[in-house]
Amino acid sequence: MFLRMVKGAIFRQKSKMLMIAFTIALGASLATAMLNVMMDVGDKVNQELKTYGANITVVPQGASLLNELYEVEGGEAPVEQYLQESELGKLKTIFWAFNIVDFAPFMETNAVLPTGETVKAVGTWFDHHMDLPTGEQLDTGVVNLRSWWDVDGAWIDDQANPDIAQVMVGSSVAQAQGLSVGDVLHLNGTAATVDLTVAGIFESGDDEDDELFVPLSVAQALSDRAGLVSSIEVSALTTPDNELARKAAVRGPSSLSKSDYETWYCTAYVSSICYQIQEVITNSVASAVRQVADSEGAILEKTQLLMLLITALSLVGSALGISNLVTASVMERSNEIGLMKAIGAHDGAISGLVLTEIIITAILGGLVGYFAGFGFAQIIGHSVFNASIEMKPMIIPIVAILVILITLLGSIPAIRTLLKLRPTEVLHGR
Amino acid sequence: MSLLQLNQVSKIYGDLRALDKVSLSVEKGEWVAIMGPSGSGKSTMMNIIGAMDKPSEGEVLLDGRDISKENAKTLTNIRRDKIGLIFQQFHLVNYLTAVENVMVAQYYHSIPDEKEALNALERVGLRDRAKHLPSQLSGGEQQRVCIARALINYPEVILADEPTGNLDEANEGIVLDIFRQLHREGSTLIVVTHDPEVAEVAQRTIVLEHGRIAREVVNENFVP
Repeated sequence: MFLRMVKGAIFRQKSKMLMIAFTIALGASLATAMLNVMMDVGDKVNQELKTYGANITVVPQGASLLNELYEVEGGEAPVEQYLQESELGKLKTIFWAFNIVDFAPFMETNAVLPTGETVKAVGTWFDHHMDLPTGEQLDTGVVNLRSWWDVDGAWIDDQANPDIAQVMVGSSVAQAQGLSVGDVLHLNGTAATVDLTVAGIFESGDDEDDELFVPLSVAQALSDRAGLVSSIEVSALTTPDNELARKAAVRGPSSLSKSDYETWYCTAYVSSICYQIQEVITNSVASAVRQVADSEGAILEKTQLLMLLITALSLVGSALGISNLVTASVMERSNEIGLMKAIGAHDGAISGLVLTEIIITAILGGLVGYFAGFGFAQIIGHSVFNASIEMKPMIIPIVAILVILITLLGSIPAIRTLLKLRPTEVLHGR
Repeated sequence: MSLLQLNQVSKIYGDLRALDKVSLSVEKGEWVAIMGPSGSGKSTMMNIIGAMDKPSEGEVLLDGRDISKENAKTLTNIRRDKIGLIFQQFHLVNYLTAVENVMVAQYYHSIPDEKEALNALERVGLRDRAKHLPSQLSGGEQQRVCIARALINYPEVILADEPTGNLDEANEGIVLDIFRQLHREGSTLIVVTHDPEVAEVAQRTIVLEHGRIAREVVNENFVP
């Protein structure tokens, strides 16, 4: 009989129950969308932030020490310390290999222009193709790491004919030397001279406008340092630092307990990724570009907090909506409830009946809301991040618990009203 | 011993004495009508007799037990076990069929039995309308469902509040015929009404005025 009453209440009062289900669906869809986006926003925002350049630099051990001693920023390594170009592929073999999004080696050397002026020539990869030891293939270079450059002409194509050597000229140099795209530039290095065709003129907005960017092999030839690189820039997806990461950064990984060390090593903190890079690149020191890493962490945390607040607000709104609707529904049914009390139903039995009806409606509304919310998450993902939001299975129990909880909380005023109803008041209007 | 006995029962709302020291006895198997104009205290008396309200003063003995001081939970049990209620406005659950409306009373009393509920509907001539919703039934039919619901748990007292108040003459006749049948079968009937024609068919009529029993009339022409 109980099920017949519940069934009758739900299916023979469709419009009323649909309205409650719709409110619950709305709340559940917002919660699902926001929670899915919140869980995925870390990766998505991280990906977005990677377009603003590298967050890890790798330099030879000696160079790092001297840079720290003399507070040298950038420039040519003060001592002849270099990394091996042949080891670059190992970056994609570390534990967090999939988090290494892009990287590029750099070899800096001085070259003399035809006018007699000395200019810094930076050799690097632009869009370098690699066949990795793992069997994977990778295209990486400054095309991705300097995506903000405003280029007149074209980027250097690493895959093009190596006989036609090219150069990208910083806007200040191009202006001073009167260079245009397609011009041929004669460069004198310490070990060789080369003729380079200007592929593009770039404007970076920083000191790089005073430099020339050439293929890595050209810079190595100019300085007679074949197979060597002076630094590597790495763009990696990282997890914002917490207490453990800060402890590891300040005191070193060796200060951590075994379990802390494992947690730290297996989490994509910028410090653990740096540590793993040092493990594979001989005599290297990898360090975070702290300003970038911290900003990324802060932006990520704030974005997640914002999402969490929106989720909480949407749930509160939903609970208020449910509360009003259920209370209105109970008031509308006061005659029926009064009658049930008059013929012998106790408060618990009636509350159980009303709650069961509402919970079943909530489950139906919650299911619709979940799928609608997942759809909303995809719309947000595509319109904001140009990517799909991954369905997180853990959202299902979270949303289910939230729906049941807000439905129960929203039903409290209605149940209180119901318990106060006296049969004489509703049956005789007194 | 009387089935129902009211001793000096009063119900006071602020300065208003809706019932004022009313004493009344109803024997088992008796058919009593309670009459009176609006505001005379009929509904208040019905609420107290029906265990839906408690008196401010006096005692109400139902089957020898004083129910005037019982708590809400016990009063609910008394309504469930001993009283069958019939209302002027029918008060059927609009999303349940006729037979389900009868079964609701069974459900809160003991175990629902559809066959027994159908038999109750047959007694009021509505076996063929069992699967209809209240909105698909006429006023007279709805009142008969209400009577079937009141009968289903074999109550000690059937308490009817203006049972024909919303019915036409033909349906009024049908309902009164059902009451006669119930009385012949030994049911105790208390009918609250303002309609003299309904009161006349009862064994005894109590007339209330200003919360007091103004007079008591025994129907000499009562046909059992």
